[in-house]
Amino acid sequence: MVIIKGLSKGYNKGSVKAVDNLDLHVRPGEIFGFLGPNGAGKTTTIKVMVGLINPDSGSITINGYDMARQPLEVKKCIGYVPDNPDIYEKLTGMEYLKFMADVYRVPSNVRKERIEYYLEMFGLTNAASDLIKSYSHGMKQKIALIGAIIHDPALWILDEPMVGLDPKSAHQLKELMRQHCDKGNTVFFSTHVLEVAEKLCDRLAIINKGKLVAIGTMDELRKGDQADSLENIFLELTE
Amino acid sequence: MKTFFNLLKINLNLNFGISAMKYRFTKEKKRLWEPILIGLCVIIGLGVMTAMLGFVMYAIFFMGRQLNKPEMVLTVSVLAGQLLILFFGILYVMSSFYFSQDLNILIPLPLKPSQVLGSKFAVVMINEYLTLIPVLLPAVVIYGVGMRMGFLYWIKGLLVFLAIPVIPLILGSILIMILMRFINFRKSKDLLAVIGGILGVVISLGVNFFVQSFPKGSEEELIGNFLTERLDIIEMIGQRFPPSIWATYALSRPGLEGFGYLALFLGISVVLFAALMWLGNQIFYKSVLSGQEVSRKHKVLSREEVDRKYVRASSAVTALFWREWKIFIRTPIYFMNGIVGMIVAPVAMLLPIFANSEIDKQEMFAFIQNPDYVLPVSLVGLAIMFFTSSMNIVASTSLSREGQMFWISKMIPVHPKEQVAAKLIHGTVIQSIGILVTAVVFALLTKISFLRMIVLILLGIIGTVALVAVNLLVDVLRPKLDWKNPQEAVKSNMNSLLGMLATFAILGVLSAVAVAMVLIGLPHWLVYLLLGVLMAVFSVSVTIGLFAVSEYKYARIEI
Repeated sequence: MVIIKGLSKGYNKGSVKAVDNLDLHVRPGEIFGFLGPNGAGKTTTIKVMVGLINPDSGSITINGYDMARQPLEVKKCIGYVPDNPDIYEKLTGMEYLKFMADVYRVPSNVRKERIEYYLEMFGLTNAASDLIKSYSHGMKQKIALIGAIIHDPALWILDEPMVGLDPKSAHQLKELMRQHCDKGNTVFFSTHVLEVAEKLCDRLAIINKGKLVAIGTMDELRKGDQADSLENIFLELTE
Repeated sequence: MKTFFNLLKINLNLNFGISAMKYRFTKEKKRLWEPILIGLCVIIGLGVMTAMLGFVMYAIFFMGRQLNKPEMVLTVSVLAGQLLILFFGILYVMSSFYFSQDLNILIPLPLKPSQVLGSKFAVVMINEYLTLIPVLLPAVVIYGVGMRMGFLYWIKGLLVFLAIPVIPLILGSILIMILMRFINFRKSKDLLAVIGGILGVVISLGVNFFVQSFPKGSEEELIGNFLTERLDIIEMIGQRFPPSIWATYALSRPGLEGFGYLALFLGISVVLFAALMWLGNQIFYKSVLSGQEVSRKHKVLSREEVDRKYVRASSAVTALFWREWKIFIRTPIYFMNGIVGMIVAPVAMLLPIFANSEIDKQEMFAFIQNPDYVLPVSLVGLAIMFFTSSMNIVASTSLSREGQMFWISKMIPVHPKEQVAAKLIHGTVIQSIGILVTAVVFALLTKISFLRMIVLILLGIIGTVALVAVNLLVDVLRPKLDWKNPQEAVKSNMNSLLGMLATFAILGVLSAVAVAMVLIGLPHWLVYLLLGVLMAVFSVSVTIGLFAVSEYKYARIEI
C-alpha cells in the first residue's frame, strides 16, 4: 500500500536532517503505528507522504501511484488529518463537509449517508450548523477527520489522531480504524500513546533522529522476550 | 518590578518581531530585503508626514506670534496629539487588552492583573510615539527655535513628549475596561469591526466633504482665518481638557512656573497610572473572562435543509468558489479591504464635485453630452471603473489568505489550475460588483446613453479578468502563508502593494492606448471594439500564464 524508498528531507538548506534515508513498506489491511520521540521526524515523514512538503531525495509510492509523478491519483486514495488541524473557521461544520465531499467528488446519495453516520457517531449532529470557529479542539479534530474520510479512501494517514479526543470519541476512532482495515484498507498513524500503539497496531515502526531504528509486529520487536513492554523497547531504542 | 520588566521585554519583542527578525537574518536568510524595505518605507513615510505637518505648525506659530500667542502652536499640537492618541488608543487598547491571543497564556501565570495590564499598556504607549512624532515634534522644535529657548526647554520638551500619551491612553483604557466588564463585545466582535470600519470611512468622507466646501485660498491664509475664528474654540477645548494647557505652559512659561506646570502634568499622569493599575487589579481579568464565553446557536438542521443545501453535489471549481466567497464575506478585515472600498470610492470621488459650489452643474452636463467629448468622457469613466474596482486586496492576497489552512488545498485531489480558476472567478465577480457600482454612479452623473453604459460595463468586466489574473499571479508567486491573524494576511502583505503597482502599470498602458486611439480620430465603435479585443487577448494570455505558473508553484509551496 505504501512503499517509501530512501526518503530524505533536510531543513535550513540541508544542515538539519529531519528524515534520513528512510525505507518503509506498509501492507494493505494493516494498522501501522509510527512512533518516535519529539522531533524524530514523524510529522515530516507524514507531510512528505501526503505531498505537503517535497522530499530532497527518495520516492513514495501509494496504492501503486508515484507521489512525484501522479500526485492527484495519490491524493484521491488518501485521507489525511494533521496533528493540529487548521480548518476553515468561517465555515460551518456542514459547509466544510459539503466542500470536502465536492472536491473529493463523492456522489450525492453516498455523501448523505456518510455525513449523517459520522456526525451521529462523533456527536456533532447538533453542532453541524455552527461555525467551526466555535468548536472545541476535539470537535475540530473530529470534523477534520470526517472531512478526510468522507470519500472512503483506501489509506488513512493520521498524525496524532488521539490527542484532544474524549475517551468515547477515541474509542470510536479506534473501532473505525479496525473496521477500515478489516475491509482490506490501511491506516498509518503516528502516536505518543504507547499503550494504544501496542494494543491497536498490526505492525510498528520506531524512528529516531530521522532514521528507522525498528520495524515489525510487537512480537518481532520483543525479539522473544515476552515480558518486554513497548515502553521499554521504545526507551531502549531511542536513547 | 523585575517580573514586570521581563513581561514588558517579551511583549516588546513580540510586538516588534525582534526574535523573528533575528531568526530571519541569522538562520533563515530568506527575503531579507523585505524588512529593510518596510523599515525604509516607515522612515520615509514618517519623515514626509513630519515635514508636511511641520509646514502647518510653522504657519500656526507664525500667526500665533502675530496674535501675541506664540504658544498656540504647542497647545494645538498637544491637543491634536492627545486626541489622536485617544482615538487610536481606544482601538489599540481594545485589540491588545481584549482580543489578543496571548491572554490565554498570560492569565494562568502567577502574575498580577496590573502587571499584565501595565506591560500591555506600555507597549501600546511605545507604539503611540510613532503617531506622536509627526504631530508634536515639529511644534516643539519650531517653538523652541523660534522663541530661542534655552537648554531646559529641550529637557522639558523631551519629558512632555514622553508623557503626552499617558493621560489620553489611561482615559481610553479605563473607558474600554468598564465597557468590557458589562458588555460582551467579543460575541459580536466581527460586527463591531465592520461598524468601526464603516464609521472610519464615514468620518473620512465627512472630512473630505468639509474640506472641499472650504473657500479656496492659500494654506497660510486659511490657517490664519481658521485660527482667528477658532481661537476661542481651541482655548475652550483646552480648558475642558486642562492637561494640554499644562503641557503648553510647562514648555512656554519661564522658570519655576514652567516647572510647576510640568510637575502638575507629570504628577497627574502618575496618579492616573496608579489608578489604572488599581482598577486593573480589580476588574481587568474579570472583564477579559466575561468576554471569553463563546456562544453557539445549536440550530438543528432539518432533513429538507440538509438535502437541499448540502447533499447536492457540485463541481470542484464551484465548491472552491463558494469556499472563497464565504470566507471572504465572513471575515470583516477581508470584507472591509475588499468590498467596502469599491462601493465607497465612487461616492467619495463624486461627493467633492457635488459639494464644490464653484462647478456649474448645468455647464458640466452640457459638456459631457457634446458629441465631441462623449467618447473621451466615457473612456475616463471606464478608467475610473477599473481604478475603483481593482484597488483592493481581493486577488493579490487570495492564496495568502489561506494561511496555514493551505494544507487543505495541497491535500485535495484538485488540479492547481482548477483551484486558481476558482480564485480567478471569485476575484472577477467581486471586482465586477465594483464595476457595476461605479457604472451606476457614473451614469447618474453623466447621463450617458444606456447602450454606451452596457458597452463600458462589458469592457470593464473583460479587462477585470486580466487585472485579477495579474494580481493572482503576484500572490501565487510569493504567497504569505505564515500568519496568525487574518489582518496580517492582507495588511502586512507586500503582495497587496505589488498587485496595486502592477494594476497601475497596466491601467497606464491601457490609458495610453485609448488616448492614442481618440487622438487618431477612430470611430467610436472601432475604439470600443479594439479596446475589447486588446483586453480579451491580454486576459486570455495572462490567464494561460497564471495556470502554468500555479501548476509549477503549487507543487513547490511547502506547509
